Amino acid sequence: MPVTKVLTEGIGEANLRDIDVYRQRGGYVQWERAVRELTPAQVMEAADKSGLRGRGGAGFPTGRKWGFLPNNGKPRYLVCNCDEAEPGTFKDHMLLEQTPHLVLEGILLGAYGIGCTHAYIYIRGEFKEGYEIFTKALADARAAGMFGKKLFGTDYSLEVTAHRGAGAYICGEETGLLNSLEGKRGEPRLKPPFPAIAGLYGMPTVVNNVETLAYLVPVLKNGAEWFSSVGTERSKGYKIVSVSGHVQKPGNYEMPLGTTVREIIEIAGGLLPGRKFAAVQPGGQSSACIFEEHLDYPYDYESMAKAGSMLGSGAFTVFDDSTDFVKAAFNSVRFYAHESCGQCTPCREGGHWLERVLHRFVEGRGLASDLEMIERVGTTITGLNLCALGDSIEPFLISVFRRFKPQFEARIQREEAVGV
Amino acid sequence: MAQNFEFSLGERRALAPTGVIRLKMADAQELVNLTIDGVPLSVPKGTLLVEAAKQIKQEIPVYCYHTKLGPAGLCRVCLVEVEGMPKLQIGCNTPVAEGMVVHTQNAKVNAGRGMVLELLLVNHPLDCPICDKGGECDLQDYAMAYGRGSSDVADPKQSKPKGVDLGPTIVLDEERCVVCQRCVRYDDIIAAESQLVVKDRGHNDIIATATGDPYAHNFTGNVTELCPVGALTSKTYRFKSRPWDLVRTQTSCTQCAVGCQQFVDQRSGSLLRAQMVESDDRVSDGWLCDRGRYNIGFYTADDRITQPLYNDNGTFVQVGWDDALSMWAKAIREAQTAGKAIGAIGGGRLLNEEAYLLQHVFRAIGTQNLDWRAGRQAVATPARTGTYQDLEKAAAILMIGETPEERAPVMWLRVIKAVTRNGAKLIRVATADKAPNIAHVDAKSVEEALSLLPAQGQVVVVWDGIDTSVGAKIRDAMASRNGMGLIASEQPNARGAEAMGMLPASGGMDTGAMFDAAGRGELGALSLFGVNPVRNFSNPERARAALEATPFVVVSELFMTETARLATLVLPARGAYEKSGTVVNIAGDLLPVNASVQGPVGTLSDLEMLVGLAQQFGLPLPTVEELERTVIEKAATAGPVALRELHGEAAHDTIARPARTIWDGGGTAAHDPRITRMLADKMIPTELVEA
Ligand SMILES: Cc1cc2nc3c(=O)[nH]c(=O)nc-3n(C[C@H](O)[C@H](O)[C@H](O)COP(=O)(O)O)c2cc1C
Ligand code: SF4
Ligand code: SF4
Ligand code: SF4
Ligand code: FES
Repeated sequence: MPVTKVLTEGIGEANLRDIDVYRQRGGYVQWERAVRELTPAQVMEAADKSGLRGRGGAGFPTGRKWGFLPNNGKPRYLVCNCDEAEPGTFKDHMLLEQTPHLVLEGILLGAYGIGCTHAYIYIRGEFKEGYEIFTKALADARAAGMFGKKLFGTDYSLEVTAHRGAGAYICGEETGLLNSLEGKRGEPRLKPPFPAIAGLYGMPTVVNNVETLAYLVPVLKNGAEWFSSVGTERSKGYKIVSVSGHVQKPGNYEMPLGTTVREIIEIAGGLLPGRKFAAVQPGGQSSACIFEEHLDYPYDYESMAKAGSMLGSGAFTVFDDSTDFVKAAFNSVRFYAHESCGQCTPCREGGHWLERVLHRFVEGRGLASDLEMIERVGTTITGLNLCALGDSIEPFLISVFRRFKPQFEARIQREEAVGV
Repeated sequence: MAQNFEFSLGERRALAPTGVIRLKMADAQELVNLTIDGVPLSVPKGTLLVEAAKQIKQEIPVYCYHTKLGPAGLCRVCLVEVEGMPKLQIGCNTPVAEGMVVHTQNAKVNAGRGMVLELLLVNHPLDCPICDKGGECDLQDYAMAYGRGSSDVADPKQSKPKGVDLGPTIVLDEERCVVCQRCVRYDDIIAAESQLVVKDRGHNDIIATATGDPYAHNFTGNVTELCPVGALTSKTYRFKSRPWDLVRTQTSCTQCAVGCQQFVDQRSGSLLRAQMVESDDRVSDGWLCDRGRYNIGFYTADDRITQPLYNDNGTFVQVGWDDALSMWAKAIREAQTAGKAIGAIGGGRLLNEEAYLLQHVFRAIGTQNLDWRAGRQAVATPARTGTYQDLEKAAAILMIGETPEERAPVMWLRVIKAVTRNGAKLIRVATADKAPNIAHVDAKSVEEALSLLPAQGQVVVVWDGIDTSVGAKIRDAMASRNGMGLIASEQPNARGAEAMGMLPASGGMDTGAMFDAAGRGELGALSLFGVNPVRNFSNPERARAALEATPFVVVSELFMTETARLATLVLPARGAYEKSGTVVNIAGDLLPVNASVQGPVGTLSDLEMLVGLAQQFGLPLPTVEELERTVIEKAATAGPVALRELHGEAAHDTIARPARTIWDGGGTAAHDPRITRMLADKMIPTELVEA
């Protein structure tokens, strides 16, 4: 089984929250080396050459993202996205709580790489414990001289601020996050302009996921080639996969990209006894389900797209044949309707409408005429929205609706509405 | 008889074609070529598709986009297809690009827009039959254009609060709201108030004030027009009419000296609402203040004077117009025969034509004792004049004297624009007014303010025209640099009156001198036109004493003001919505005023009164054409009036007064039942309204 330990190295064995333990195990060595010996451009080059892609959901190449920053003399910001509110995703807060100094070292390296002097980490409101652990880590690291003024005797100064959100999925979307960080209503911004041009406080900004930034540490330690030699052609390196659902041992498993879907299920202990496989949602709540015919697909960005889904944040949810997909679909749509910020029409109205219709199906009060509506509205709203949340209502819903249509048909009570 | 004068000032006019219209050459701009719906066009780089399409007369539907607010990308109704892009794009935030091929009307586009409309109607109450917006609603129009004829909705609609009392001016229906956030963004960007917010989230979101306090400031009414649906409605217009029953007139607001262009809608002879003229970039920038919008009810107030009134030893008795005019003429002749002085004060609240005729008739009768000034203001025409657009582009704005926020409300919106969006530096020499909620620096003296000016760039001085020694300092300081002035006059047509010659000449007495002469028993007859010195003069007591000492005082007015109560003869006048002519605003623009209703029977315009008086004296009068031509000429050529000392040393009596508000000044708010109803709601502090 290709389970590997890179970021997860030491978790469960040593108290990595303790800065001394972290340092004894080689922690902050890369950071100090970078500041003393490397130029920011070299750090950026390492990120680029490693083939590291964003682990927050979109999978955008990290080095390329940094390269969009304009050279206009304006201050730049790095914001680490630790909002992790997508159902099924639970890797970032594991890193935050178990190995906070690794998270911090990743942020420091990222900040140095883009040439920023003030980095932020936005921590989901519900992660109270993680926030406290990280705040302690920040204090310890500052006391140890890991960030602050004139680091390691150089002229480089760097400040890091941890900000705890107030609890809204939409604040994980990078521009919603920036608004929230600025103290505004957590609503995504209209793009363009993109954060690289006008982000936090209107300045050039990079938003990166916790896991993305954390991988900078081993990349610098072992070299870009070490990372890019693992994985598939365009999906390089390792990934923490959060496996949940109908498996025997749900949990976070770190592995090379390209491990097959079937292998991942086995890594997590396989299906529950006596159950049959029904579907996998391979990339978080925003991704479409894939099915039996995809079990031998490698788990990488391209193959998941080819299967009609996506790798997303690496949340891997397994459904067996006991699943009530009507309820699952309702649950998913209800989540989006609840989390919609309400700014734009298709997401605000479409999600809410679908939620009410599916609720009737759950209660066995579906109408035959609803079937056409679910398909039509569910698919049409995708692509019309301001941010990706609205476009995420469709994939799971429509993939299971089409695949498990009989389950929906069984909940039909009447042909069409009676009365008004 | 008098009603029979055929002396109306012609029909509606566009902005007068005179030297006051200053055309700016467009900056040379890079052009981009594209095709929209098969039509090739070239537009400046950076133009948004929604604007580019207008050039080929193709409308891209919008809810959240607004030319003055910019794109927000919320409603998603503006979808267009751009060849080479897989997804439909929003026309409101997609800039033109070289070679772009755009379709604003095809099956794919219509399907996308149709979906947006279908979704907007899922929870919409569809109470069009009782909605004020019915007939002029963008949701109705686009639903007709792109929506489906039927609905798949089988679930009950979500209910939200209706009839929400948002503040003194507005009632909100949350169910009709399409959450375009135009109101919220307007309040933030244009009014710099940030009172309105979206509360809650997703399909539960509602529009509210952030604090829960009533939505109240000087520019609230604009949101009722920005609102594309019937969610924000004016209390004064609720359930009053359908748009197709209204008769619309475009005119200039004369509630203050800004001169905003506005549409006035009347039905069966009553004014129902005033609406903004969005295309009016020059004067109002497309906005109105709440006074200009809502203070129109006084025209039909019960206490309007509709008969000439003669003061018979303390009791006012009604007289006919014939008698009134002959008494007036007789009193003037008797005063002249007795070797007493006569005089006339007014013009700042009249139309140019009237102000011109006022000085013309009285000069012909034989007096130079003429003045428009009846308050504290000394001068209305700046030494170097500029436009409101200049204000927008200023590097620094120097605000000296009484709050232009209240005196010239919509001009203040330009100051906000200059400061918050164009980076102008705002320096105030503050009177004891509340601080504006935009970035500014307070200086203690004019000298200090001048020292804070940036070295480069245009300076615009906004001044109240009161203290002439201040005026002289500004004039001298601006002479050596790129500076100009805007005088926020207290009377709407002060600058027009000045241009028309309502000033003492050849040794004539100004207002203060006339009052002094009255005190000495030397003034035999005084005629006052739309002025209320007993309330507004720098020293009201001096004005009162002067009027009491003058044997024959004629006052042309709409209401029984403090001044009218001291008159010998009160002449019932028409207001600006009841007559046509022109005015000159703060920026020197010659603006048309067009009658939208007829005045009450028994009233006459000041012009008609003056014609009547002239006829009593057998004086020759200009023809209508001559009058129009003269007015245009004088408005265009009137230069600055040398700064004069007014009222002698007593000019600057400091009278303790409450801070002025936009409702102050015209004397009409207290007679407007709609405004007094707001007052009753305690929304406008009583002491701030002119009684
Ligand atoms: C609704 C929504 C929620 C998101 N939540 C998160 C999140 O919790 N954490 C995260 O890293 N990215 C999240 N993203 C993705 C971010 O917008 C952004 O792409 C990401 O932080 C970029 O980091 P990366 O390039 O390192 O992946 C979310 C996106 C959407 C549309
Ligand atoms: S898609 Fe949904 S969450 Fe995103 S901006 Fe629109 S309403 Fe808000
Ligand atoms: S109240 Fe009107 S203007 Fe304001 S968000 Fe709703 S629809 Fe838009
Ligand atoms: S600013 Fe003056 S002219 Fe403009 S609407 Fe208000 S009162 Fe009328
Ligand atoms: S007008 Fe373009 S999204 Fe609303």
